[in-house]
Amino acid sequence: MIVKKPSILIYTQKAAPEVLKEICAGIEEEGIFYEILELPDQCMEKLAYKAARDSMLGSGIGIFQTAICLKMIGLEKGKNIEAYKTPSKQQARNLGCNSARAVKKQAFKLTNF
Amino acid sequence: MTYIAGVDIGNSTTEVCIGEATLDKNIHFLSSASCPTTGTKGTLENTHGIQTALKLALNKIGLDTQSLSLIRLNEAAPVIGDTAMETLTETIITDSSMIGHNPSTPAGVGQATGYIISIDNLSSIEKGKDYIVSASNLHSYDEIAQKINIASKAFHIVGAILQADEAVLVKNRLEQEIPIIDEVTHIEKLPDGVLAAIEVALPGQSIRMLSNPYGIATLLKLSAKQTQSITPIAKSLIGKRSAVVLKTPSGNIRENMLPAGEIYFEAENPSSIHLDEGAEKIMEAVANAGKIQDIHGQKNTNVGNMFSRIKHGMGELDDISKTDIHITDILAVDTMAPVLISGALAGETCLEKAIGIAAMVKTQQLPMQKIAQQLHRELNVPVIVAGVEAVMASLGAITTPGTTLPLAILDMGGGSTDAAVITEEGHVTLTHQAGAGELVSMLIQTELGLKDRHIAEQIKKYPLAKVESLFHMRMESGEMHFVENSIDPRFYGRVILITENGFIRIEEDIPMEKIVQVRRDAKQKVFITNALRALKKVAPMENLKKITNVVLVGGSAEDFEIPEMLMQELAQYRIVCGRGNIRGTQGPRNAVATGLVLSYLGGQHDS
Repeated sequence: MIVKKPSILIYTQKAAPEVLKEICAGIEEEGIFYEILELPDQCMEKLAYKAARDSMLGSGIGIFQTAICLKMIGLEKGKNIEAYKTPSKQQARNLGCNSARAVKKQAFKLTNF
Repeated sequence: MTYIAGVDIGNSTTEVCIGEATLDKNIHFLSSASCPTTGTKGTLENTHGIQTALKLALNKIGLDTQSLSLIRLNEAAPVIGDTAMETLTETIITDSSMIGHNPSTPAGVGQATGYIISIDNLSSIEKGKDYIVSASNLHSYDEIAQKINIASKAFHIVGAILQADEAVLVKNRLEQEIPIIDEVTHIEKLPDGVLAAIEVALPGQSIRMLSNPYGIATLLKLSAKQTQSITPIAKSLIGKRSAVVLKTPSGNIRENMLPAGEIYFEAENPSSIHLDEGAEKIMEAVANAGKIQDIHGQKNTNVGNMFSRIKHGMGELDDISKTDIHITDILAVDTMAPVLISGALAGETCLEKAIGIAAMVKTQQLPMQKIAQQLHRELNVPVIVAGVEAVMASLGAITTPGTTLPLAILDMGGGSTDAAVITEEGHVTLTHQAGAGELVSMLIQTELGLKDRHIAEQIKKYPLAKVESLFHMRMESGEMHFVENSIDPRFYGRVILITENGFIRIEEDIPMEKIVQVRRDAKQKVFITNALRALKKVAPMENLKKITNVVLVGGSAEDFEIPEMLMQELAQYRIVCGRGNIRGTQGPRNAVATGLVLSYLGGQHDS
């Protein structure tokens, strides 16, 4: 039997390393597992949608180069929790935190809203 | 056609009712409306609100103010409610000496004692001493972990305090496990070389050592006398997940009793009472004083200032000389207010004892006649002041289906709770009591430590829910509610109020259960106390059992839980009590305005 760890999935396409690092740090601080997978899609929302769909926690992040997007399972197309084209360090960190908070059912850290 | 308008100016809302008097001496009710009272009740500024409400009501039936034949104003009781809050104790910490807070993610567990050392000064570290490293957010978690790892090879590092939210990140990179506290905003206030104790609780628990005076004494090696002075710190750290306590040589913590002062009653049985005796004793004194002419406080004390502030405020509004303003009733309520501790490092608060007071201010006569004249000039419609408020409210209340005389009404408004009993012969006894909706809002605001009164008002009015996923929320009743379209992420994981215009988010991080409890307690403290007090005063022979029917009217009767609370309480006295339904359509509002229109018929007979 293959047992998958309950993790947040991060689907990437040519992810900028500094952005990825901050996102991972955000998730780690909240104490949740994550897995990173490179996919051929070139759209942050598509990547995030698939990640959320595949994650057994229902929380997924898509990264295309510097663009980042956080989605939860069931969210309609065009509706994200947060998304940035070129995030600041803090924005990327908080997006990571929020992907974990989505799982923990805690209120999101506020950066843009 | 004769169109009559009844206008009721209340402490918080102005209500109007439009009726048509037919030739066979009947009244057909056509429309009603309400809007916020402009200015203080009984002042000329009220005319703006009256006009708005009239236009609102007339628009509904396609008429304008010119078509009115008569406007009837209520002879508003010259009583105005006001509220004030005074804390009785205060905690002062000189030379900041503690941090106790709830970061969402501290790391490591256990407690440690050591000397504070900033990460920049690690070069000056000495052998043979225990250290707690403090690091500002200028240092990354990699760097902090690396430096601590190097330093711990030769020296004793027993704990860490971080400014950034990175405790877990640092802990995951350390070779040895130590307790780490993060999100300490004012880390620059931690002096190097000071002995400190830190504690991080096990998951799901709260700290044990630092919330116990003897625990602090053990960790910081305090004398019996020092232990005594540290008790307020331990008290304020109860329930936290992590905390830091510093041992500062000159540091000092005091719990002061503020000079609260005495309240004097000029009454049938003159008496006085100390404010710090608590609300229960004060209310006993009010009850024993009999008919009260005036209440004032001891000069130059908190309560003295509080009463003179209320009187002064009233005097300014209407050029009434101060000697004509009397406080004829007060309602005192015990409460706890979270007050920011002066000298704390991370914005900690301490629950202080406080007392909330609503006062009934009586002036000689409200200038209703002046309002009537002004309104007549502006609208060119005859305006008369007609009828006593409570009588009109009773007249309106009788239009509730299923009521009969004798009848008691309980008018719960914003500023005051009024009660009246009408006998079968039409004889009316009435009373005005201090304390109603506004006092409830004030209690909610102080007990929850909310920044503004507006959100407290909303909490009073609307039920709560917690958004648990983007597609469902848990109501305060425990019921789950699912929605078709995803909820805005701004509300995710938060406690919200469900209003008719969508959701309102509560910014403060307070558990839903706590808000519910505070809200219900505040309503109980004010409305149950006042309802019993008021009904006792008007009941025949002051015996509640002589009242059979109570109709609840006024804005606070619209509340989603107050009428039920009262029903339960009054059921003990075998009283039938329920929310009024004026004219069978209006709910508990519009009683006075309806009464004013109805009384037009009676008035015609007189003339």
